Amino acid sequence: MSVKAEVVIKNHSGLHARPAALFIQTANKFKADIVVSSGVKQVNAKSIISVLSLGARGGTQVTIEAEGPDAEQAVKDLVFLLATIDEGE
Amino acid sequence: MVGVVIVSHSLKIAEGAKELASQMTPDRIPLAVAGGTKDGRLGTDAEQVRSAIESVYSDDGIVILYDLGSALMSTELAIEELPAIQQARVAVVHAPLVEGVVTAVVEISLNKNWESIIVTLQEMDFGKAP
Amino acid sequence: MSLNSSQVKKVMLEIGETVEKNKEFLTELDLAIGDADHGINLTKGFRAVATKLSATETDDIGEIFTLVGMTLVGNVGGASGPLYGTAFMRAGSYAAGKTSLIADDFVGILEAAIGGIKMRGKAEAGDKTMLDALIPALNAFQEALKQGITVHGALTKAVEAALAGVNYTKEIQARKGRASYLGARSIGHQDPGATSTYLMLRTISKAVQTQGQPEK
Repeated sequence: MSVKAEVVIKNHSGLHARPAALFIQTANKFKADIVVSSGVKQVNAKSIISVLSLGARGGTQVTIEAEGPDAEQAVKDLVFLLATIDEGE
Repeated sequence: MVGVVIVSHSLKIAEGAKELASQMTPDRIPLAVAGGTKDGRLGTDAEQVRSAIESVYSDDGIVILYDLGSALMSTELAIEELPAIQQARVAVVHAPLVEGVVTAVVEISLNKNWESIIVTLQEMDFGKAP
Repeated sequence: MSLNSSQVKKVMLEIGETVEKNKEFLTELDLAIGDADHGINLTKGFRAVATKLSATETDDIGEIFTLVGMTLVGNVGGASGPLYGTAFMRAGSYAAGKTSLIADDFVGILEAAIGGIKMRGKAEAGDKTMLDALIPALNAFQEALKQGITVHGALTKAVEAALAGVNYTKEIQARKGRASYLGARSIGHQDPGATSTYLMLRTISKAVQTQGQPEK
């Protein structure tokens, strides 16, 4: 089962440092294969260096796509995270 | 919890990599550095590497990341000086230093075990080992 | 006659003096193809060796070499620390329990040192390293002994072979260490590590020629 959703990153610095770590920590809770893409670049959502290499700043729209038994919940949680994440985290 | 040791020719690089990686997680990851010589020159020192390993060692395992060639030699020497039982739980990985340390710290915060962290880090190897 | 432990200690100190005298020269060679610290690093290492040796009473030559090796490991900083450190520690294992050295021991020591450097540096002959001075020196020494040349003569041959090895490193491309990053541009420069190895062997030879004649 494949699930896909788009979300605009809320926090100012984007998928950087701790927010990126938080993102992959969440992604790693799921069995599904998850990719995140920004523009033409698509990376493994479970690898910190890959996610950092996306360079997705705040206000950027990213696409999250998951495939696997828990894909739906994975996409839901990650979208929620990016839509609500605060700078302090 | 798996521990990390950073070995660099420069203490500033080692501490900077530690600082950057620590920013990734609020968890307190066992992370030790060995950088520069005793008298503050650029270089590596097997004795410092050994005490860095000992300062964060646990049976959960240690991964060591290094910067350039001779840092690896000092690290290998330091490992040879450890008791055999500890040697078996200490791994040198050939990932790029900064990316490797950041990845290691995040993987540890995910409670990944030593074996799987080694696999993840080795995938980042770009052929730096001689 | 043979080389006893206090003579061995003295040779170690003389190696330090030679290194110190050639500090600038070695560093300059390293400036061309490395990180310009070989002379400085080795000088720091052998100064620490001098301090450690003056504080030890042991007449076990194995312990002396091991102490030299461990001190280099902890005080040099650059690649020559683990490399020479391992070489001397291996020589220390070879010479464990010995209180005097004869010519055959020189062979054993060089073999141990070569093994250590190969293991630590993952290097072979022709990689433009210390080995390109050390291996020819050992071969020449053994060959000379086989031909019935005196130990002094054999040592002279070994030093000549080491120097030829240093010159050979000018013609080849570095395959190990910082110099290997330069690729073909390392050709034309002699290797600092091979050069310091040659200087050490020259010092050993000179010391033996003046201090005593090792037995065959």
